[in-house]
Amino acid sequence: MEQKLRQEAKALLEQKRVDWIIGFTPGSLKFTTTPLITRDKADTERLVINPFITNNLANFLTEIKGRVGIVAKGCESRSIVSLIQDNKVAREDLVILAVPCPGIIDLAKIERLVGKDRDELDDVSRDGDKVSVKVDGKKKDFAAADVLFDHCLACELPTPQEYDIILGEPRPPAPDLKVSGQNIAELKALTPAERWASWENELSRCIRCYACRNVCPACFCQRCFVEETEPQWTLPMPQWQDNLIFQIIRNIHVAGRCTDCGECERVCPVNIPLRSLTREMYDTVDELFKFKSGMDKDALPLMAHYEQEEAEDFFK
Amino acid sequence: MAKKASKKDVAQLLKKWSQQFAVLAPSRESGVAAMAEWDGKDTSFLEWYRNTVVPPKASFLPPMEEMFRFHKDEEGYQIEPPSRNGQKQLVFGIRPCDARAMAILDMTFEDAYQDPYYLEKRKNAVLVGLGCTNPCQSCFCTSMGTSPTDPTDVDIMLIDIGDHFLIEEVTAKGKELLAKTGGLKEATKNDEAEAKKSRETAYNKVSRKLDTEGIKDKLLDSFDDEEFWSQTAAKCISCGICTLLCPTCYCFDINDEVVKGEGTRFRSWDSCGFPLYTKMPMENPRSEKWRRVRQKVCHKYEFYPMAFDVIACTGCGRCIRLCPVNWDITQVIESVPEKVKGAK
Repeated sequence: MEQKLRQEAKALLEQKRVDWIIGFTPGSLKFTTTPLITRDKADTERLVINPFITNNLANFLTEIKGRVGIVAKGCESRSIVSLIQDNKVAREDLVILAVPCPGIIDLAKIERLVGKDRDELDDVSRDGDKVSVKVDGKKKDFAAADVLFDHCLACELPTPQEYDIILGEPRPPAPDLKVSGQNIAELKALTPAERWASWENELSRCIRCYACRNVCPACFCQRCFVEETEPQWTLPMPQWQDNLIFQIIRNIHVAGRCTDCGECERVCPVNIPLRSLTREMYDTVDELFKFKSGMDKDALPLMAHYEQEEAEDFFK
Repeated sequence: MAKKASKKDVAQLLKKWSQQFAVLAPSRESGVAAMAEWDGKDTSFLEWYRNTVVPPKASFLPPMEEMFRFHKDEEGYQIEPPSRNGQKQLVFGIRPCDARAMAILDMTFEDAYQDPYYLEKRKNAVLVGLGCTNPCQSCFCTSMGTSPTDPTDVDIMLIDIGDHFLIEEVTAKGKELLAKTGGLKEATKNDEAEAKKSRETAYNKVSRKLDTEGIKDKLLDSFDDEEFWSQTAAKCISCGICTLLCPTCYCFDINDEVVKGEGTRFRSWDSCGFPLYTKMPMENPRSEKWRRVRQKVCHKYEFYPMAFDVIACTGCGRCIRLCPVNWDITQVIESVPEKVKGAK
């Protein structure tokens, strides 16, 4: 898959079909990759596909000028489609290099399972449904389902629907909503007062780094409400009430665009379980409007159209 | 002469110090590793603690801090200073990189303007350093003029020697506190030898290296190299993680919260990574991402050395470890181009 990617990417640049290639290359820390954004065909030799290609590369599309060849897992392809729907990116400017994705390894889960930090692990490798971790010279095997990101377990589109070049055999979706929705189920089991207290606790840690917003392909506004001063929707100080308002409004703004790629939760430096908000919104959108974002590039954006049979319970 | 204490007696030591200080120690209670008020019993951090995610600067320059309150009456605006608890802080377990960072922050906060909020807390505080035994893959302190067991910037330094800590009194403040503490054993020659070995082992475990030779001038020369900076900034997402959680970054924003005529002025962490940071009525000199990334790098490796003769980076590695896209400052510094001969 990697060899084919390198060949294709190189050819795209050589034939001037694209100006840029966006993909993944090994990161500077163990078990990481880093986005590679390049015009240089020699760089294509450094492209990789492995169980650590965490980033959602669609995030870079709105700021790059020119035609782009982009490596896309299922989640990325959905973000790309959503951006096309919103007229943020033109389909003809893209060459989508589709990666059928078996899910990405969540190192935080491995850390919890083996009681070691990621940089103390000797090796992490995947073979089908098994993930092997070598630590202190010993090998431990885990079921992939125990160490993949929650959002990967819920993945409805492992293989992009919208693509130009496919880099492997398509994979069928097998979403496990029980495991991937465990956090949300636990929150829902609480009383409203307990749930409120839980979010107060979680959001008290927020430092307003805005990584959740900036890493989100659906958060493409040129001006974010959080930075407006007239009116000031929320204060820029990291007090939990304002942090909550920030998260709630952000979540509403990406409703119908969020593809549950899980990046907001992954990048949060203070471990706020943000996906519990975004996934709940994702499911709510589906329930109310029968709409899953990023599935059909010809569909109108959720908030830009109206169907007669849509729920309108709020008109009473 | 150094002293020593059994690891099992750390709780007792902290209890003693709690009578005089607000003791802060590494904690994950809040959901993220940070220095937090010690709960009076738990020393399990001695097992898991490598470094905190939130740097100890947060205890001196909090993410959000009240500056004063104000209200308007018939005579005009009235200003009340913030209520200060005046309690002295003892930070237990600060790492040498973060202690050096505090020394670097001091330079700014006691420069031409003496910052009372920061300095009051800082002057009253005692830093008890804890030498690292297990540096992270992202650490590069040994390239930045410090080391995993460097005692220079703390008052008291603890070095792991197996089931004990060797305790070094570094400053007069530290010496005085240890004298008052009492109950500590004298370290033996053997303990000293163990500490030396422990220091060497930790030092050698820091594998990431950074050559900063001539970096100030290189950055000066490459300031206008838009191609280099654009490339460097390409994958940056302009979030605030690397700055807000940097132990030497100190920028803050000031805002008023006014509710029913009662106002409070706060300051809170801000970041040069945000476009809003430099937004002015007419223009924004750093609206482009590459200019913001350049600012961040140059402030640490060029402007701070110009102002204070020290690089404002201690190699703690947080910015590398926590970055959503693995933007790595050591790779960036190493890729700053040499000045091309004959270039303007």
